[in-house]
Amino acid sequence: MLEVKNLKKSFQSGDATVHAVGGVSFKVLNGQFASIVGTSGSGKSTLLSLLGALDKPTSGSVQVDDRDITSLRDHALTTYRCKSIGFVFQGYNLVPNLTALENVMLPLEFAKLPKAKRVARATELLEQVGFQADQMQRKPGKLSGGQQQRVAIARALANKPKLILADEPTGNLDSQTGKMIFDLLHNLAKSENTTIIAVTHDLSIAGKTDVTFRLQDGKLKER
Amino acid sequence: MNVITRGIRNAFRNTIRTVSIVTILGLSIGLSLAMLVAHQAVGEKINSVKASVGNTVSISPAGARGFEGGGNALTADQLSKVKSQAHVVSLTESLGDRLTTSDTNLQSAVDAGSLGQRFAQRSGQSMGGPGGGPPALSQDSTSNSGGTTTTFTPPVTVNGTTDPTNLTSSGPGGGGSFTLKSGKVFSSSSTEDVALLGSTLATKNNLKVGSTFTAYNTTITVAGIFDAGNDFSNNQVIMPLAAVQTLSAQPGAITSATAKVDSITNVSSVTSAVKSTLGSATDVTNAADESKNTIAPLENIQTISLYSLIGAVAAGAVIILLTMIMIVRERRREIGVLKAIGAGNGKVVGQFMVEATTLTVLGAFIGIALGVVAGNPITKLLVDNSSNSQTIQGGPGRGGRGFGFVRDNVSSIHAAVGWDIILYGFAAAVLIAVVGSALASFAITKIRPAEVMRTE
Ligand SMILES: Nc1ncnc2c1ncn2[C@@H]1O[C@H](COP(=O)(O)OP(=O)(O)OP(=O)(O)O)[C@@H](O)[C@H]1O
Ligand SMILES: [Mg+2]
Repeated sequence: MLEVKNLKKSFQSGDATVHAVGGVSFKVLNGQFASIVGTSGSGKSTLLSLLGALDKPTSGSVQVDDRDITSLRDHALTTYRCKSIGFVFQGYNLVPNLTALENVMLPLEFAKLPKAKRVARATELLEQVGFQADQMQRKPGKLSGGQQQRVAIARALANKPKLILADEPTGNLDSQTGKMIFDLLHNLAKSENTTIIAVTHDLSIAGKTDVTFRLQDGKLKER
Repeated sequence: MNVITRGIRNAFRNTIRTVSIVTILGLSIGLSLAMLVAHQAVGEKINSVKASVGNTVSISPAGARGFEGGGNALTADQLSKVKSQAHVVSLTESLGDRLTTSDTNLQSAVDAGSLGQRFAQRSGQSMGGPGGGPPALSQDSTSNSGGTTTTFTPPVTVNGTTDPTNLTSSGPGGGGSFTLKSGKVFSSSSTEDVALLGSTLATKNNLKVGSTFTAYNTTITVAGIFDAGNDFSNNQVIMPLAAVQTLSAQPGAITSATAKVDSITNVSSVTSAVKSTLGSATDVTNAADESKNTIAPLENIQTISLYSLIGAVAAGAVIILLTMIMIVRERRREIGVLKAIGAGNGKVVGQFMVEATTLTVLGAFIGIALGVVAGNPITKLLVDNSSNSQTIQGGPGRGGRGFGFVRDNVSSIHAAVGWDIILYGFAAAVLIAVVGSALASFAITKIRPAEVMRTE
């Protein structure tokens, strides 16, 4: 279970203090698919980066299975990001000079998996997202947006994380491809009992998820 | 795929940038190596010049050098003052003389040639050795198709000395290094009528160890045959000082003396001490002072090459530093992604270090190739330029050496690129890479993984 308590994050920009996330509390059960919706600048990405331990909150706590990740030290943080979290970004964020297969192998390498196992696991994951052997050897520049996002999903699933965080994963894709990507994410997560928290603008997608949180000016708005 | 292979692959991500960085690094490493080579070669040369100069001080009558010029012989009183100087270890005394055809049966082994003929005509009037030696000329009149020509034979030189194996260039017989070919060397205090003959002189006169010849109307025994390395010096007879003083009727006369100093560092202080003791009646010189003309430009080159070396290494470090900072800025987002998916700072920094090292090692290959090709020419160029300007200042013909001395010394400089230099090159490259990527690494650790959430 993921439990967020009175989470705050403020940024200092010039003289002004921006309260990007201003006291948010919620719970997501294991295996749930949660969506976060809200207007631009409402603090969705900031909240997600706090959940994924990409940034430290100003105050408040994030408990994952009764472990407060906001107090983790550098090394433990790295391990947490590596093994417990899978990230999918709006801009795909693949490493451009690595092939699809090598991109999926990256988190496996960081998790110190032996090389032979990395290749096998990455190939299996790419097959799951519908890749053919020759496509796996292509670099991101030679893949479509939808294909790149599927590689990113495979990469996020590589170390079998308990939690997948997706920041507008379909934002750069047409609605049909977007739906396909979401279904893929959903199905893979369900089969592994993975929790998913996804930011989306697409209300039709948000409507299909187990729970939806609405953010406004850094605060949660009850439905 | 791991940190190393990714680092190496990243070094080739941008072909144009890789080529230009590697080329510039290659030039700077090449220049560093060329300068290192020049520095070493010139340093070795300076040491060898210093070593060859030795630790001796020459004393001769004012205005005399070898047999040229005039002046009065040195006195026993003057020489005992020299002997008692601090740091003087020993004193070699010699009396130079020349044999005329009337007082010897020896035949000169040197041809007059056109130089000798011209010399004879010019110096006919009052040619004489320092200390009032007899005229050096033997003139024969020959009838030749109605006209009369004068032929000239270069004289045989006699060197009366207390140290027969020490052939100083300021002494009577000219310079050279003494090598005994046969027989044995007489003792320094000998008074016997014995002689060491230069090899060409001995051959010309069919003399061997134990044979005799006539000089000063006295029968003299050949005690040994030596080679001095040049024809002029090999045309001399070396005899005990006392014997020459007696036979030539110049008791107590000394035409040159060489003081041996305990250490090369005391040579110049002994020189000035002897100068002030003996006053203007004598010329006191040391080879170290003369060699300053050779060493000064070499030391300049050493300084120039050292600064250029430092400059080139620093330039290389700055180039890779700026490159790496540029690359890190460019890949902020990618670094953020790597961190977000579980790479620690160490992994990311390591990857960039490998990239920087790959670039510099490639640069080192080009640089070493350049250094191997250009090291010697650059050294020659530096040496030629600075020795030219130096000899023009000093003027040619100073003491009969000046020009030739400097040129001979510097033209024999050989700058070689050995394995040690190549290893230095690689070591420098790796050092440059590590130093150059240190700041970039610091920048990497400061990149927040949350930045990947920000859309470009
Ligand atoms: N590093 C930062 N420094 C200063 N202000 C920041 C920083 N990151 C975010 N903010 C501010 O925090 C607020 C929330 O930003 P955030 O990116 O979380 O919004 P968002 O809901 O993801 O918007 P969008 O839908 O446009 O992506 C914004 O006002 C933004 O300007
Ligand atoms: Mg956002």
